[in-house]
Formats: sequence, structure tokens, C-alpha cells
Amino acid sequence: MKKLTREDLDKKAQAQKERSQDWIKVGLSTCGIAAGAQEVFNVLAEEVKKRNIPVEVKKCGCLGMCYAEPLVEVHIEGLPAVIYGRVNKDAAIKILEKHVCGKMLVNDYIFDMEEIKR
Amino acid sequence: MYTKTILLKDTNYGTEDKTKEFYTLLLNILREDNLHEQVQVVRAADVGVYNQGFVVKILPDNIFYANLKNEDVKRIVDETVKNGRIVDALLLKKEVKQLRIVLRNCGEIDPESIDEYMEAGGYQALKKSLFELGPEKVIEEMKKSGLRGRGGAGYPTWMKWNFTRGVKSKEKFVICNADEGDPGAYMDRSVLESDPHSVIEGLVIAAFVVGASKGYFYIRAEYPLAVERIQKAIAQAYEYGLLGKEILGSQFSLDLDIRLGAGAFVCGEETALIASIEGKRGTPRPRPPYPSVRGLWDKPTVINNVETLANVPYVIAKGGEYFARVGTQTSKGTKVFAVTGKVKNSGLVEVPMGITLREIVYDIGGGTFSGKELKAVQTGGPSGGVIPAEFLDTPVDYENLQKLGSIMGSGGMIVMDTDDCMVDIAKFYLKFCVEESCGKCPPCRIGGFQLLGILNKISEGQGTLEDLNTLKRISFAMQKASLCGLGQTASNPVISTLRYFEDEYKEHILNKKCAAKKCTHLLNFKILQDKCKRCGVCMKNCASLAISGSKEEGYTIDPAKCTKCERCFEVCKFKAVVKE
Amino acid sequence: MAKVVQAKINNILIRVEEGTTILEAARRVQIKIPTLCKHPDLPPSASCGICIVKVKGSNKMLRSCCTPVAEGMDIITHDPEIVEIRRTVIELILSNHPNDCLKCARNESCELQKLVADFGIRAESFPQFLRDLPIDTSTKAVDLDPKKCILCGRCVYACQEMQDVWALSFLERGIKTRISPAGDILLADSPCVRCGQCAAHCPTGAFVEQDHTAKVWQALQDQDKYCVVQIAPAVRASIGEAFGYAGKNLTKKLYALFRRLGFKAVFDTNFAADVTIMEEASELEQRLLAGKRPLPLITTCCPSWVDFMEKFHTDMIDHFSSCKSPHEILGVLSKTYYAQKMGIDPAKIYMVSIMPCTSKKYEITRSDEMSASGYQDIDVVLATRELARMIRQAGIDFMGLPDEEADSILGEYAGAGVIFGATGGVMEAALRTAHYFITGRELEKVEFENVRGLKGVKETEVEIGGKKLKLAIAHGLSNVEYVLNKVREAKLRGEELPYHFIEVMACPGGCVGGGGQPYMVTDELRIKRAKVLYEDDKGKEVRLSHQNPYIKRLYSEFLEKPLSEKSEKLLHTTYKGRPVYRR
Repeated sequence: MKKLTREDLDKKAQAQKERSQDWIKVGLSTCGIAAGAQEVFNVLAEEVKKRNIPVEVKKCGCLGMCYAEPLVEVHIEGLPAVIYGRVNKDAAIKILEKHVCGKMLVNDYIFDMEEIKR
Repeated sequence: MYTKTILLKDTNYGTEDKTKEFYTLLLNILREDNLHEQVQVVRAADVGVYNQGFVVKILPDNIFYANLKNEDVKRIVDETVKNGRIVDALLLKKEVKQLRIVLRNCGEIDPESIDEYMEAGGYQALKKSLFELGPEKVIEEMKKSGLRGRGGAGYPTWMKWNFTRGVKSKEKFVICNADEGDPGAYMDRSVLESDPHSVIEGLVIAAFVVGASKGYFYIRAEYPLAVERIQKAIAQAYEYGLLGKEILGSQFSLDLDIRLGAGAFVCGEETALIASIEGKRGTPRPRPPYPSVRGLWDKPTVINNVETLANVPYVIAKGGEYFARVGTQTSKGTKVFAVTGKVKNSGLVEVPMGITLREIVYDIGGGTFSGKELKAVQTGGPSGGVIPAEFLDTPVDYENLQKLGSIMGSGGMIVMDTDDCMVDIAKFYLKFCVEESCGKCPPCRIGGFQLLGILNKISEGQGTLEDLNTLKRISFAMQKASLCGLGQTASNPVISTLRYFEDEYKEHILNKKCAAKKCTHLLNFKILQDKCKRCGVCMKNCASLAISGSKEEGYTIDPAKCTKCERCFEVCKFKAVVKE
Repeated sequence: MAKVVQAKINNILIRVEEGTTILEAARRVQIKIPTLCKHPDLPPSASCGICIVKVKGSNKMLRSCCTPVAEGMDIITHDPEIVEIRRTVIELILSNHPNDCLKCARNESCELQKLVADFGIRAESFPQFLRDLPIDTSTKAVDLDPKKCILCGRCVYACQEMQDVWALSFLERGIKTRISPAGDILLADSPCVRCGQCAAHCPTGAFVEQDHTAKVWQALQDQDKYCVVQIAPAVRASIGEAFGYAGKNLTKKLYALFRRLGFKAVFDTNFAADVTIMEEASELEQRLLAGKRPLPLITTCCPSWVDFMEKFHTDMIDHFSSCKSPHEILGVLSKTYYAQKMGIDPAKIYMVSIMPCTSKKYEITRSDEMSASGYQDIDVVLATRELARMIRQAGIDFMGLPDEEADSILGEYAGAGVIFGATGGVMEAALRTAHYFITGRELEKVEFENVRGLKGVKETEVEIGGKKLKLAIAHGLSNVEYVLNKVREAKLRGEELPYHFIEVMACPGGCVGGGGQPYMVTDELRIKRAKVLYEDDKGKEVRLSHQNPYIKRLYSEFLEKPLSEKSEKLLHTTYKGRPVYRR
């Protein structure tokens, strides 16, 4: 890979606008993984691929809400961005079907944290 | 498409959760008004507000209503949903308590992607340091920021850097201390795993300022994921020329490497850490000389903790003065705490210095999950102390915690309720230090062991009032005569529990009672005859044959034979066995 | 000139060189700060926590052993609080130390015992606990009783840094921390070379030399035994310290002592040192002139050095002088030459060696060659410290004894023999004789001052018969590597040899600093002891080994000539590689 120059660095900083608007992020740090986040991530990634859903499944670090792991943050155009907590396999499927595809928020899993996300 | 979203939640706990009833109520009202096509109602698991009754949050207007009665629902729909008017009487003004500087990217970016870090403004501070500021001005900014070491001692970071910068030496080193070892503390792990590049960037800036050409991450081997992510991040930074020769085309070169700690707590102490990297037994050596003058391989060495370094890019990017707007007179910026114990929302919080313990525990942490009274908050890990409930309104900073007999430490914060026994807590922390003592000097090695012996004695009901004096005498000698921070502070849990809870110690000694029912030796086990179903399981499980009786007569425990192993208590399905 | 800093200790104004520790600065104004881990011979390990002092303006207490005086410091070394903390720490140490004082080898010389007495500790404040750890007697020279160890780390420093042996290390941690060879094996199976520096520096009875005085008493009582004794050079210079007299040459009192103890004949290892020189100088001559075996020649008088070489530097075997150490030579001569001449059954001769050394205890059974006479050439070795005990047991007023002479034929020595006890001494003695062997002429000035002194590695040159001889002297095993590596590099590159002749002594200062010598050795004391030997040499009429009339007689009557077949058989030995770890 080419070594970056000062100018390249600024270009990199501007890159974000080109990214997809619809995404799902799964917290994959030790706390999340210990609570089963890896499985949730795998299910989401597999199902998205299988069902050809136009959403990007990404991983991220720890939001700090260890009591609510595994955490899944969902951002879909036209819906408020929300964090789902204590997500298991079934909940992950529900999120895909209802939230991502059906454009409706899923009951009972939302951790609304103004403290962290505003 | 919905135009509004209403999140709702019954935020009372300790009582039955009525969220679903409330949900039905709201939904029905919306249906009556034929609004259910435009407004979606969602049951939340948590709305970040606690013990405020029924709470709704209306999006995208971001309006919070709390302590709602059934009749309020109609009003909200009529006023706010239909007409966009705010009902002031019901409004909850929620203040956001957290401020995420260290954790700014945690949970936001993909920790394994350097591009995402750069999209979030990453490595801009390095660029600024290299090409705009230069070492002197970076130190100037650091000085203005007032950033102090987050590893425990709180030494001003700029001074450390300045010392090392001022020493003439062909070779200098920078080390990131990621040997986080306090029980219950995992801030550093989280930062390393979630935002590794911010720590690397901080370390590169530190190296640039002091003139180091080699740096190390000293990470405990128990953090495999952190090691993996730092490893990947270092490789990516090399690829992009952000590490290695002539960084970003400047004159400055730096190599970074990882060293694994083998799990000794004392290796978080900087001189022991250095010995460990050098391949020696991890024991502290006397200071002075400080590592900033003579450190790794006897060369000037800057050692900064993970959280400190994660602050650095922010300080440089935003300017020292901007950073210093947050915090107290002596403690600037934020602090990440790992709040655990009997708290509802255990996890990491990042708060401005100067926030009160009450805000952390209640507003962010949601109070105790048991609903029981909060007894104390332990801060600073095994080197810290307990702060009783009466001091919950103390603003948190380095000096205040010290005045209360505790320390900021690395950021562990353990919430305790009335089920926690202070003798037991002191025992827990002391045992940790006794096991982790490197064994080099007698005050810590033998003093800690003797203290533990006395605490055991007290918790077994064998203590005397004279023991309290002995505890104080040994603790004082440990504080004054131990070589390193571990030994000097190992007795703090004893000193601070004695300071605030001496009566509890005396209760153990004089009345042989443990109110929190933690010290099993002081408990008596009894079978409640009205609850006993005469199944006989307790008798079968009693290894010391202390339980006698029959299905007809019922069972009793002979206190003389009982060894208080708690087996009967555990096996009884009917809660007929009680501890008193 | 070093910078001078000014400070106050207990309100006394002091001016000391920058870098001076508080402990040292206090001593200069007559204040003794107690410590248990700081040995004047070693750098501070800062482990015991007793030497704490207050510095005004700081809440912390500092360890005076390792804290340098800083400009303007206002230091308090003693106040009720400090004394109380010291007492607590001592009591804590005591709670983890056996109450075995009466039966301990260090009774009355124990530094912990002294502190306990000084602080007037009369009762156990804290319950005692001891781990059940066995005593390691495997080396047959130095015993380790880990229970008595206070973990000051002196031995570890001596073993690792001073001697580069790395037999000792700290094992485990916390309250379980203990001193042991790595891997928790026996010392005899470890790299230990039995130099005894651990024991010489230990503040308590954790490391002590094995006591063999009882064996000697028993032999002296045995009518069937003909007890003879020899005294190593360094012993005469240090034994006085045990009786309050440092820096005195007590050779002649020692001769008298042994007669009073009942020895039938009193010999001097110095005589055998002269023999060693005859052999070694001939070896050097042969290697230099005849090129029989490779140069440089390396001395082998020191059994710890030999052991160290056999474990770590076997590539140097060819360079080793095949000469036995002087006391072994005297042993074999006593049971051959002396026995024949006096008509004594060699089986009855019981040879006791009085040595500054613990390693000699091991050497006497090192290989079959140590029984060249047909019997074990040396029956028992006593270290200087054991001899001091034996003198007390015998109830002899040692310092009041009259002067006597050694028994002849194995007792008379040249000045060259006595300087063996100091680093550089073997080299100097050998050069004196080698010069004669090579040139056929005697030296006008016999002293070689360049080889003397306490510098870790001494490199110098002398000219003998128009040829420049390059020399190196190393003492303290940590200094060996540098010298040997130079030889290795030159060999590898095919360059000119850096040295022709190398002397190595395991202990710093040579035998005067031996592991069996009286306690509290420092460089000052090493110099003092060495001075005794150099003075002895200076006062001797005969100062060259080959001029010693008894040496001439030995060769004419018995050995024929140096390196003769008989000499080779009796006075020389072989070497082989040994495993560093025996498990």
C-alpha cells in the first residue's frame, strides 16, 4: 500500500459521505462477544446475504452499556436510529424482518440512550 | 410511513412492569383518533430514565414525558401528537450527564478499520503535531489542557513528557501501559478494543514530542482481543506510513511493538513494567530515578496509560484550552469509570470531572438493582477505599477522592448496598493485594498477610478490640515503608473501611454479628418449621451430620455441629433454611 | 568534579557530592540509619523498608539507601513515628522468621538478630508463620535454609550480577516468595559454582557454609591419624577480623595455634603456590616457545572458576593450565613426598586445609585426580569463618599466642607464594619465575604493579626476553566474559591473540574476598587484606618461587623437574565439560 501524505489524510477524512446510509452495527468487543454478539453478527450477516437485503452489517467496539450486551445499532433511512440491547438470534431476525425490511421498530429491545447517542 | 415514533417504558423497578398495559392504552387512544398509521408506538427496554413511573419519548421531537398517569395519555396525544404543543406539567427535563471524549469513537467506528478512524478525524492531531505545532507547542497545548495521568497517580502528562524531552539521550522510549489489573476495571480494554488507533495516535504524538524512536504497548495477555486489534491497527498504520520511517513524509520515525504482560498486577507499576519488558522478574525498583529520566534499558522513557493517550489526539485537535473547559480546578477533562457491583446499569461511563458520585450511580447507573439502600461506593480498585453514602454528593476529582480516603485510581467504581459487609470487602481487596504482592519488601509481603489473618479472625468472630489497633499499626507501616504504589496502598481498603465503618468491625468483634450476613462463621442456620416441607434433603446433604429429625417430626440444625458450609441453605428449595 | 549539593540531616548542614545517598550522607555526620538489606559492598536493593526517613514537605517516607540527597532537602532520620514504623517492619519480618537463633550458624553475627536486639523487641507482636521448606545441603559447601531468608536479595545480586552464575533467583511471589535455583531444583543440580558469595553477603542464616569443624576435632582425637594442616594465603590476612583486628598478618600465630590444637605438622599453602608457579611458569614457557598447546594460558587455581569454565566456557579447556590448585598440590605432596621422607604411613595422614573459600570443600572430591596420592589428598576443608569458631571452641586466646614457624619442607615459602591470595597475584608470581625460565636471567625489580588492584578487568603488557606478553586479569566471574570473548573473536577472525596469559579468580578481589572469609567485606577491606599479603611478600628474603630452597630440594629429591612425568601425575589434572543443569 502506498504511504499516505498529509493531503491523502484530508481526503480520507472526507470519504465518509460516500458510505451507505442503511447499516446495522454490532458491538464486538470482549463484553459483547461474551454475551453472544459474535453469533448475532453472524446471523445478521448470513441472513442479509441470503435474503439479499440492501443493508450493510458492520462491526464496532463497545458503547459501554455492558448490562445490555449484545448491542445492535440500526440506522435505516426514514426511521429513528436506535440501539437494540440484549439481542439474541431470534431478536436479530426480528430486527431484520421488521425494522430493516418492514420499516417498523421492534418492541422490547430498544435501549434509548441519550447519554451516549444524541 | 410513520411521521412520529413514541417510545414508552414503565421505569419503576422493584414493582411489576406495566409497560405492556400502558402500551395497549396508548395504542388504543391512537386508534380511536385514527393516528395509528402515522404514529408508531414502541415498547422500549430502557429509556435512560429510572424510577420516574411511565415515561414516553416522542421522536423526532425528542420530547420526554415522565410519571404519567393513564389520564395523561389522552392529553399527550391531543396536545403534542396532534398539535405539536408541549405539556409542560408532564415534561421531564433530562440532563445528559455523560461526555464522551475518550470513548468518542467507541461503538461508533469499526475498530479494525483505519479508514473509519480517519473518517472520524483520526490522525489529524498527529498531522497537526508534526507539521503545525512541533514538540514545544504540543507540550504547551498539553499544559493548557491540564490533562493528568489516568492510570491512577494523576501526574500531569505534559510534565512527564517535558522531563523526558529535556533529557539528552541517543535513544528514548515511549510505552503505553495497558496492564489494566484492578478487579472490576476494564476501561482500557474497551478503548483498545473499540478505538485502537486513538491510543496509537496518542503514543505517536508522545514519541514525537519526547524524541523517542521506539515504543511499546505493554498489554496483559488476558486481553487477547485487545492485543489482536492493536496488532492489526499497528500493521495498518505501518501500511499507511503513520508508523515506521519518516511518518507522513516528515523527519520523524517511530517503531511500535507489543509486549505481553503475564498477569502480574504489580507489572502495572511503571518500574516493574519496565523490568518485565526487559525480561526480568517484574518487581518495582526505587524511584528516583524516574523512568522519564532513566527507564527502559536505562534510557529516558515516557509511560502513559491507555486512557491518557486516548485523550491526546482530542487535546491536540481541539486545543488545550477547549479540553480544559470541562472539569474542576485541578482535574480537567473527563474520566471513564467502570461502574459495577450492585448497580442497575453496570458498564462504562465517561463523565466530566467534578460530577458527583450520586449522578453517576443514580442518574446514569440507575441506582441499586436490588432497590436496597446504597451503602458505599468503592473507587480506585485495591488501592482505593470506600466512600460511604453520606458523601455521594462530593464532586469527583483527584483531590476530593483522596480527601475521602480513596483515590481516582484507574476508574473502577463498585457500588455496594446493605448486603455488603465492610469487613468482607476489606478482606476481598486485601486478599487480592496479598496474592499480587511481588514479595520484594516485607511491609507489603508480610504486612498484608498479617492484616488478612486479622481480618479473617474478625470475620470468624475471633477478633478482639486490640486487633483494630494492630490493623491500624500494620496498615500505617505498609503505607510508609513499602517501596511501590501497590504496597503503599494495599492497606487502603482496610484503613478506609475502618475510618467509616469501625462500628461494623466492632459489631463483628463484640456482638459476633454480621449485619450483611456475609461472614458465614457469624451466622446461625435455622430451619423455619412453617416453611419446611419435611423433604429431608438438607439432612442428606449435611456433611457434618448437624441436621437431625425425621419426616414426621421435622428437622433441626445443631449449632454445635454446624460448620456453616451453607450447603443446607443452598439445597433447600422451599427457602426454609435461613441464615441469621 | 562532581556537583556538590547542600541539605540538612536532622538539622545538621551537610554538603555532599551529587548522587550520594541519604544513608551514606547520614553516616558521614555520625548518624547510623538502620537497614537490613543494604550491604556496604553491594548496590541498594531497596527491599527491607527499614531505612526509611522523612523529608520535610513530603507526606511519603523515602528509603535512604537508594534516595540521593537533593539540593535543599530537609531530612529527618529518627523520630518517634519513624522508629515505630521501623519496629513494626522488624516485627513483621520476625513473624516470618524462625526463632532458631540459639542453633543458628549466624547466632551473634546475624544482622536481623542485632536489629531485633537494638529495637528491644521482647515479644511476638504478630503470630508467626513459616513455610515448611527443606534445607538444601546438596552442594556440600554452602547450605540454603529458605525459611531463614528475609529476601533482601543480596545473594541474588551476588550470584547474578557479581558472579554471572545465575544459580539463584526469586521464586513465586507474595508471601510465598523464596530464594531458590530456577526451576526449584537443588543447588548442586544448578549452575552454582559454590563460590560462597551468597553466604558471605547474607544478613541471616539463610546461606551458610557447611560446618566441618567437628570432623577436624574428631580427627585430632583419633590416635591412628597423623593430622597435618595447611593455611591458604588469604586466611592469614583476614582471620584477625573475627577477633577485632583487621589488616594484620597473623601467619605465625596461626602456626602456633595449630600446634596447640594438636596438629603434628603445620604447612603453608604458600609453599604449594611456589610449586604451582614452577609448573605453570614452565607451561607458559612451553606454550610460548615450543607452541605445544595454544595460548593464551589461563590460570586454574580457583575451583569456582574451574567449575564455571567447565559449565559455561568449555571451548576454553585447551587454554587451561593443567596445574592443580596449590592446596591440592600440598595435599598430594604431604601424602607422597612428606610421608616418604618422614617415614609415615600416608594412609594415616589427615590433611586439613584452612581456606578463604567454600568452593574448596567441593574441589577435594571433584575428580579421581584429587586422590593422586592414592588417598584423598585433602581430607577436609575449613573456611576462615569455621576456623574462627574452632579457635573459640578451643578456648585459645588467639591474639595472645606467641609467633611460631611452619614445619619445614612443606612450610617455607617465597614472597611469590603469598600474593596468590590477591587478584593478580598468581600472574605476578608466575611472571617472576617465567622471566627466569625464558631468559635465564633474574629480574631486577620483581614487582609488577600493573597487575595489582581492584579494577574488574586489568589488561597490561610486560616484556620478557624481548617479547611482549599481553596479560589480562579478571576477578569476579562477571568480568570473565569480556576477556574470553576477546580471545574468541580474535580466534574467529584469525587475528593476533589479545592475550598470552590470563588470570581468573572467581571472587572479587581474589581469595582475600573469598566466600568463606569473615563477614561484611567491602572493597576497602579487600584492599586491606591484599596489602597484608603484599607486605608479607616485600618482607621476604626470597621472593621468587624458583629461588625457594625447599622448592629446589623438592624437585631434586622427588619431582625431578617441572612437568616431569611424576609432576604431571601428581600435580596436574584434566578438565571436561559439565552440564549447567543436572536435571
